[in-house]
Amino acid sequence: MNDLAANSAGIEQGDGFFLPNFCDVRLVFAVVIMAELLAFVLVLVTPSLLDDRWSDLGVISLFLQWIALTSAALLCLARPLLSRLGNTAAVLISYLLVLLITALLSETAFWLMVRSTILPSIDSEQNGVFLLRCLGVSAVITAVTLRYLYVQHQWRQQLQAEARARVAALQARIRPHFLFNSMNTIAALTRSDPDTAEEAIHDLSDLFRAALDTVDEHATLDAELTLARRYLNIEALRLGERLAVEWDTAALPPDVNVPPLILQPLLENAIYHGIEPLAEGGTIHIRGELTNGWIAIRVSNPVAGRTTGGHNQGNRIAQENIRQRLQLAFGKRAGLETRQQDGHYQVTIRFPGEQAS
Amino acid sequence: MRVLVVDDEAPARERLRRLLEGLDNCSVCGEAATGQAALALSEERLPDILLMDIRMPGMDGLEAARHLLALEQPPAIIFTTAYNDHALEAFDMHAVDYLLKPVRRERLAEALDNARRLTRVQAAALQQAGERGTARTRICARVRGSLQLIPVEEVRYFQADQKYVTVATPEGQVLIEETLKSLEDEFREQFIRVHRNALVAVRYLCGLEKDAGGHFRVQLERVDEQLEVSRRHIADVRQRIKLLQS
Repeated sequence: MNDLAANSAGIEQGDGFFLPNFCDVRLVFAVVIMAELLAFVLVLVTPSLLDDRWSDLGVISLFLQWIALTSAALLCLARPLLSRLGNTAAVLISYLLVLLITALLSETAFWLMVRSTILPSIDSEQNGVFLLRCLGVSAVITAVTLRYLYVQHQWRQQLQAEARARVAALQARIRPHFLFNSMNTIAALTRSDPDTAEEAIHDLSDLFRAALDTVDEHATLDAELTLARRYLNIEALRLGERLAVEWDTAALPPDVNVPPLILQPLLENAIYHGIEPLAEGGTIHIRGELTNGWIAIRVSNPVAGRTTGGHNQGNRIAQENIRQRLQLAFGKRAGLETRQQDGHYQVTIRFPGEQAS
Repeated sequence: MRVLVVDDEAPARERLRRLLEGLDNCSVCGEAATGQAALALSEERLPDILLMDIRMPGMDGLEAARHLLALEQPPAIIFTTAYNDHALEAFDMHAVDYLLKPVRRERLAEALDNARRLTRVQAAALQQAGERGTARTRICARVRGSLQLIPVEEVRYFQADQKYVTVATPEGQVLIEETLKSLEDEFREQFIRVHRNALVAVRYLCGLEKDAGGHFRVQLERVDEQLEVSRRHIADVRQRIKLLQS
């Protein structure tokens, strides 16, 4: 079941319709497995039809796969039409479709069996009973399956809604400290160095434009790197010589699509938990690598002896958020890792480097 | 009025200095970038008022304020902060003033007008906030009239002796006027009581031995003295040592 869940979750990503795409190979495979499991159950609970149980299984499997795969094929074809109807009507119609297929195929199978005399005991008077039994089983199993798909769909929708809410929360959550400290810096610079003050206002505007933008769900890696630089420019004004930054990102392809604000929060953490608590300051390294089509960006900062950067809650929330957004965009293999070693705290994000979604 | 400006960010200090220069009967007597530097300068230049940032590396503003109480004539303290800090919630706002950055000129003038020497009420509020808040990172001692700050993580043990408490580090011993009970409460996570008159640093525990008289004694890293462990604390000490080894 988990496999099925994982599969269909992977197949249908946010087109808002509960019925998964039955044309997908993974889902067809899941349907075959489900039908086979049902065949097992039926063989186990009914009295023997043929000479031995294996023959029973063969015949029943054939029959069930026939129904299941035909249903899947029909649902696959009907999906574009169904998706226009809204969920309730779509549920009802898919249910009736499967029952109709069951009825037709049961009739066909019955007469084939009578003709071929595979089952010696069968005679044409049992037609009605056989049809009703088949429809009964199909009615229950189809209802359960549709219910399962529907619940799973809702669960997935909820997951996405939560993820979106988290993005919004994170975007709103550029630390207020940062805003007011920057304003304070700018207030100081307006007299002593108006040009730099102006520059800082531009940087700050760009940052908040990105942070307040809830519509745009994608950014390019290049834009993210630029935003990160702008952020660090502002912090450099405030922290002066305490902040040194080393960039090593030439290897990164600029126009890969990424979720917005995946890098800046990591730098903000590095400053807040790494550089600020150190009176002498330190260097933040940003290193980007492209290996076998995968991008890895590592942000590392020194940590003060006693305060361990990774254990802070604000830190963890931001990291967890970025991890989830990367996985939502790129699948399970993308993600975020942290490591603390020799007084340095490292966060690495990984995601595919092709032109993704 | 002599004002000491304390902030770890140079532009923030510069701005305050400029605002202060524009006010009558105010002069900036110094600038400091850390809590420690603020303490040293306060002792040397005897400011009337400190304008102090709360979030600073090393010793933060709140801790520095607590140590300032040990001065003979503690200055009044006005905290500055970029945002409503959780740390500020620890205070009774009437007792200790604070300014939000960027600081307005009028608001600064008003705060300076209201500021007097650190009053008894302020001192009590600071003390209380400290006790409710986080533990200090340093112990402040007066050695031949000047303040000395001892990092708590260097301290091997505290030992009470009538009116004073001895603070022992590998570098030596100093006396402070605090009670063992308050130290025990504040540093509960780092120190353990081994005797009615002694607290030892858990992280430096390195042995527990029985002496000829049948008394247990603990050994601490890099100090020679062994402290007696009383019978009622022996189980606790054993457990902590076991936890350390596991």
